[in-house]
Amino acid sequence: MTTRLTLRPISAQEHRDFIAGQSSASFLQTPAWASVKAEWRSESVGWHDGDTLVGVGLVLYRQLPKVKRYLAYLPEGPVIDWADDDLAAWLAPLVSHLKANGAFAVRMGPPVVTRRWSAEQVKAGIADPAVRRLGDVPPLERCQQGARVVAQLHELGWQQQGTEGGFAAGQPQFNFQVPLVGDDGAPRTEADVLAGMNQLWRRNIKKADKSGVEVRRGGPEDLEAFHALYAHTAERDHFTPRPLSYFRTMVDALGAEDPDRIQLWLARHEGDLVAATIAIRVGTHAWYSYGASSTEKREVRGSNAVQWAMIRHALAAGAAVYDLRGITETLDADDPHVGLIQFKVGTGGQAVEHAGEWDLPLNRAIYKAFQLYLARRG
Amino acid sequence: MSLTLTVDGARWRAHLLATATRSPGLVPVAKGNGYGLSLGRLARRAQWLADHVAETGAPLDLLAVGTYDELGEVTPRYDGDVLVMTPWRPFGAALDLDDRTAARVVHTVSRPDDLAALRERHPSARFVLEQLTSMRRHGMTRRELEAAAQALGTARSGLRGVALHLPLGTTSHLGEVSRLVNDVVASGLPTRTVYVSHLTHAEMGTLSSRYPDFTIRPRIGTDLWLGDRGALRVTATVLDVHPVERGDVFGYRGRSAPKSGHIVVVSGGTAHGIGLEAPTGDQSLRARAATLARGGMDAAGFVRSPFSIDGKQRLFAEPPHMQASMLFLPSGARTPRIGEQVDVRVRFTATDVDRVVVD
Repeated sequence: MTTRLTLRPISAQEHRDFIAGQSSASFLQTPAWASVKAEWRSESVGWHDGDTLVGVGLVLYRQLPKVKRYLAYLPEGPVIDWADDDLAAWLAPLVSHLKANGAFAVRMGPPVVTRRWSAEQVKAGIADPAVRRLGDVPPLERCQQGARVVAQLHELGWQQQGTEGGFAAGQPQFNFQVPLVGDDGAPRTEADVLAGMNQLWRRNIKKADKSGVEVRRGGPEDLEAFHALYAHTAERDHFTPRPLSYFRTMVDALGAEDPDRIQLWLARHEGDLVAATIAIRVGTHAWYSYGASSTEKREVRGSNAVQWAMIRHALAAGAAVYDLRGITETLDADDPHVGLIQFKVGTGGQAVEHAGEWDLPLNRAIYKAFQLYLARRG
Repeated sequence: MSLTLTVDGARWRAHLLATATRSPGLVPVAKGNGYGLSLGRLARRAQWLADHVAETGAPLDLLAVGTYDELGEVTPRYDGDVLVMTPWRPFGAALDLDDRTAARVVHTVSRPDDLAALRERHPSARFVLEQLTSMRRHGMTRRELEAAAQALGTARSGLRGVALHLPLGTTSHLGEVSRLVNDVVASGLPTRTVYVSHLTHAEMGTLSSRYPDFTIRPRIGTDLWLGDRGALRVTATVLDVHPVERGDVFGYRGRSAPKSGHIVVVSGGTAHGIGLEAPTGDQSLRARAATLARGGMDAAGFVRSPFSIDGKQRLFAEPPHMQASMLFLPSGARTPRIGEQVDVRVRFTATDVDRVVVD
């Protein structure tokens, strides 16, 4: 069984076509994402069973200073059959290909869920002073498939990267998602999704509507307005904003793949921009990616209005999941990150734990040096 | 005259209650020589602990024994279920159980084939599945657990949980236990109960908070029965005392005294486990150096004995006999009276005392 799959580089077109045939994949695994991360060398690779393409991966090569050796990184990927109990058959050809290309280590983030918690459980956890982390709350579900992936990665010598405290260096392990289909797989109605939200969210959505907030999709010409508000938000909330050029590249690259791949959303009140967001969708998975909001006119609730517009759009597009992306693991009411969780929990979805990011060192000495370098960089 | 274990009953019972109180889900272990206290006594005490649930807040529904042959000692004295920790095999004492005992037994199953064989013989058998740990003694791998899960299906089965036997002396068991618990989830087994041993109280706490949806049940033997050493005292009786001068010949082997002093004859010999080298479990360099040093004394005819008189450990005058030992007491030391009790340091799991006295 272990010899049945082969791996070789594929064209961006083959890569795109394969993802288009999947029900979903992370946008970080689309070939377009390579153009966004232009400072990294990238490569599309494909798994073949005979002549049939059965899996793809976007590899980003990050060079180690002064040495011609690379960390090969597959963010939220690769796009393979993670339900296979013979992951060695998939990973072995990947690893030998990357090694031949000068990788000293491989890092990946298997897109599999390991645990889920309901919004009610998260809320009760925040209210309970004895609960400090999400993991202290009995989960709604521990996923067998996720556990199988974790078990196999351990068996195959991969090392799980820690996510101590806040956000990890890579992609977040804990995310908040609103399911847009029921347990039976049938689409939920707008009314049902709305009813799942907490009272504050429902009230705020109504309030925005009453005060005349208008939400519409923008075009590339609106990117500058989005960025101005985003830079304002960054200053207020003390984070470092990305430059406008980053978003231009992102919109151009992702937009070229599919007209609905990346969307700009703008909420205005009497002509003033009060909230603006970027949403991304690949197949049945829709993400809320970047958000910005004004400090003025908070009472008109532009942020809730724009979220609701994105959710409705995702529903209309047939998405199965609306993903609000990362949350920290903390449920400590005194932690500054808890406000963000509370905002997301109000949507009534689920907190979802993924398998996290895993490394396979190929050259132990260089890998160790790399870890030291990362630790020093802080 | 005998080798006697004297138990400070009030102190011992207080320790048992305290241990049960801070170990929710406790499964007491009574195996082998009953940790020096005897299996029967431990079984009665387990029943006593079960009867004191109001005091401990810790219901006690399960007692663990080592082997099927030990069941007869505990089942008449303890009312609950009994877990046999040696894996069930389609041969041996496991097949000789009478129906009444069988109904109270929880088996340990460590091979997929045994699971099928046990269920074929006893469709209503209750069992835990043992997982293979880094100890690599008995147990199932993740894929074997998955096969077991498929064999059991979703129907009601006798599955009572999974069991782990962890090795001693590693820095922390948490990493391994986390991986093993993940394997349970990965297997799809319809259970959230895990039986573990050798975890510190802090490790148990961390595990319980990390797996709030799991029931982690500690199997505790030594720390329960022998956890308060101050409550336990083993003594031998001085049977005879003979003065000797340097060069005097004595003993089975006709040794001669190295200098003047006394030969002290005490109860306790090889029949009790005295003088047999049992591994101490202490593998530190210091402990190994001490073993070497004792070997040197052995060559010169001086071996430290576990008997101490007036707080000082005395040398064997010659190797211990079956029921008595001869010690050498150099002149100048106080000579004990005949009938006097002297302390003996023993390894409880390797010593059979003649009498247990619970005060």
